[in-house]
Amino acid sequence: MRLSFQQELDELEASVQDEGELVLRSLRGAIKALQAQDVELADEVIAFDDEIDRRFVGIEEGIQTLLARQTPVAVDLRLVLAMLHVNLHLERAGDYCVTIAKLVKLTQALEGDPTLIEGLEEVGGRAEEMLQVALASFAARDLDEAKRLVELDEHIDAANRRVVYDVLGIGGEPDRREWGLRMILVSRCLERIGDHAVDVGEQTAYIVTGEFREFTDASHPDAKLSS
Amino acid sequence: MAVDVRLDELSAWFGNHQAFADITFTVPERHVTAIIGPSGCGKSTLLRCINRMHEVVPRARHGGSVYLGREEIYGAHVDPVSVRRRVGMVFQRPNPFPTMSIYDNVAAGIKLNGVRHRKGELDGLVESSLQSAGLWNEVRNRLKKAAGDLSGGQQQRLCIAGAIAVEPQVLLMDAPASALDPQSTLRIEDLMAELKQQYTIVIVTHNMQQAARVADWTAFMTVLEEGEPGRLVEFDRTETIFTNPGNERTQAYVTGRFG
Amino acid sequence: MSGVSGRRRVADRVASVWMLGSVLCALVPLAFILGYVAYKGAGLISWTFLSQSEPFSFTERGGGFWNGIKGTLKLITVATLVSAPVGILAAVYLSEYGRGRFATAVRFVTDVMTGVPSIFVGVFIYSLIVLETGHFSAWSGALALAVLMLPIVTRGAEEVLKLVPRELREASLALGVPHWRTVFRIVLPTAASGLVTALMLAVARAAGETAPLLFTSFGNRFVTGWTDFNQPDSALPLLIFRDARSAYSTAQERAWAGALVLIALVLVLTIAARFIATRRSVRTV
Repeated sequence: MRLSFQQELDELEASVQDEGELVLRSLRGAIKALQAQDVELADEVIAFDDEIDRRFVGIEEGIQTLLARQTPVAVDLRLVLAMLHVNLHLERAGDYCVTIAKLVKLTQALEGDPTLIEGLEEVGGRAEEMLQVALASFAARDLDEAKRLVELDEHIDAANRRVVYDVLGIGGEPDRREWGLRMILVSRCLERIGDHAVDVGEQTAYIVTGEFREFTDASHPDAKLSS
Repeated sequence: MAVDVRLDELSAWFGNHQAFADITFTVPERHVTAIIGPSGCGKSTLLRCINRMHEVVPRARHGGSVYLGREEIYGAHVDPVSVRRRVGMVFQRPNPFPTMSIYDNVAAGIKLNGVRHRKGELDGLVESSLQSAGLWNEVRNRLKKAAGDLSGGQQQRLCIAGAIAVEPQVLLMDAPASALDPQSTLRIEDLMAELKQQYTIVIVTHNMQQAARVADWTAFMTVLEEGEPGRLVEFDRTETIFTNPGNERTQAYVTGRFG
Repeated sequence: MSGVSGRRRVADRVASVWMLGSVLCALVPLAFILGYVAYKGAGLISWTFLSQSEPFSFTERGGGFWNGIKGTLKLITVATLVSAPVGILAAVYLSEYGRGRFATAVRFVTDVMTGVPSIFVGVFIYSLIVLETGHFSAWSGALALAVLMLPIVTRGAEEVLKLVPRELREASLALGVPHWRTVFRIVLPTAASGLVTALMLAVARAAGETAPLLFTSFGNRFVTGWTDFNQPDSALPLLIFRDARSAYSTAQERAWAGALVLIALVLVLTIAARFIATRRSVRTV
């Protein structure tokens, strides 16, 4: 029953997962460009964002049409609303990858610090992992897997703090200081990508439980969700 | 072979009362087009003009033209009976022939028109029509039983099978699911999605959500002022009608603020 | 539940008693007639009565009404064969095609004809056929009965055809079936049991008519052949009419028995008509 509706839903979700894959590619490209200080790769990442934006608009329109024509209810409605949010988070994550690429281009003339770059690679790797976990748990509607993102978020925050400390100790040379400052921004972008991955995880929880809730509340840092 | 249906300045009267006026739009071939609007705007009458059933009512007349593909169905030498063989119709309340078996109901259009088939051929035609209507598996073992024993939803699918057995080019459906329960309604909607691959389908529906679900194109008709005949307000892709209609009246209707 | 007020209960009881009483009043004459005829006539009923003709002399006891029974059967068969197609086709015209003034006129005339005293029908056929041919005959009797049956069949059939739902005709028309074929292969078969009922009621009426036969079929002491319609012929009502007025008790006895046979015949036809009307059958196109 309602075969075409189910088909539309499935196609939309596939589109969202595709968008996730594109964002992951963008992220990997940005990190690679950072490691190798590869400006051409950075340009590719920036250009690639158009693809992500196209996907974003397509999904937005698809959701609008689906809501207007199929009047989904219950779990179908939650799925559609969740996809609406996930779409936004993925698009923002993609934008952060562009920012990172732009920063790579900006600092191409400056010399990098290998230890710091390693630290950034760690943050980037964690961001990538979090996105993958978020997308996989969304596809599987796996609540427990989605909750792992809370713990992973703590790790990425810790990694981000380490990068900041390292930058603080980078020394007085103006070039190095400038480079360090830019790298803090890069690290922050990666950490924000991680935050968006957590948001995607919260959407998975919304589909499964039907409740609008954040996993953790910044104003009540010790109160964790037990449900 | 399905065709498109072009309405050109079509109007219809019952005696002195004008049901609708100057309707112009084209129903694209092999898509589902829905006609929506408040009661009394002339939607069903419009539908019945497409298969020349309107003129069966005493003192009924029309103005303007209807083209099936290239052919004007109200042309001077056109026999209404032949038009009705090319344009099938499914009615609001399922109306299988009560004195006939299930098999004969499907074959009625063929047999009554004197078209001769070998026994095996007719069996095959009946089976494929019932398959297309999604009813075959439920009735395959009781084809000779009375049609009246079927449930409402089954009877309606039987009527659909009978309509497509004569291999029309266009299928008209007048609120085909309005007398049925929600489950049967959704089955019929799924059926339409399949049937549109072969036939051009025009449905009239009082249920906007149904139009939103099944139709590729939607025509909105309404009576602009009291006492006036119905008119076409907007005709566009269904997504557009239900997300960003061009006309305010359309928006007022689909949002349920009016009518 | 709170009680219906005492006054309403009393009014209800009074109305029930009154209605029951009225029903009994209506049934009593019918029961009386049936009972009395059965009482008076049963004595003579036997296979002899049904198969033998009248004795030559009125004063002779026994014999039977076979000439009348056979005559009645012949007359109503031919009358039905004539009036049924004409009546049903007229009904088809009125219900399917007739609009406007001509149809209204036809309907009006038919209604008037149902009220025409049956003796007028007899006189009409008498002047039209009996005088022309110079003798009484079963033909003229059958025709008179046909004229009597025609309006009953027409009106009854029209009512039945009107009951066939419009949707059925539309379903057929929408399949591209021409109107006349729709009528003959969908509407008429659907109305079939109702049409048979209308026919049988007309037959039951005709079987009991005496007046139209007085000047047409006239009566016959002898049994006529099944296919011989040129001679005058007997009929049950005619025999009852004649023998009931006879001075001889032997004849009167036969009249009672004949009346019982006639009532039984009419009863059987009417009950069969009701039975058929309530049956539903699946038929092929």
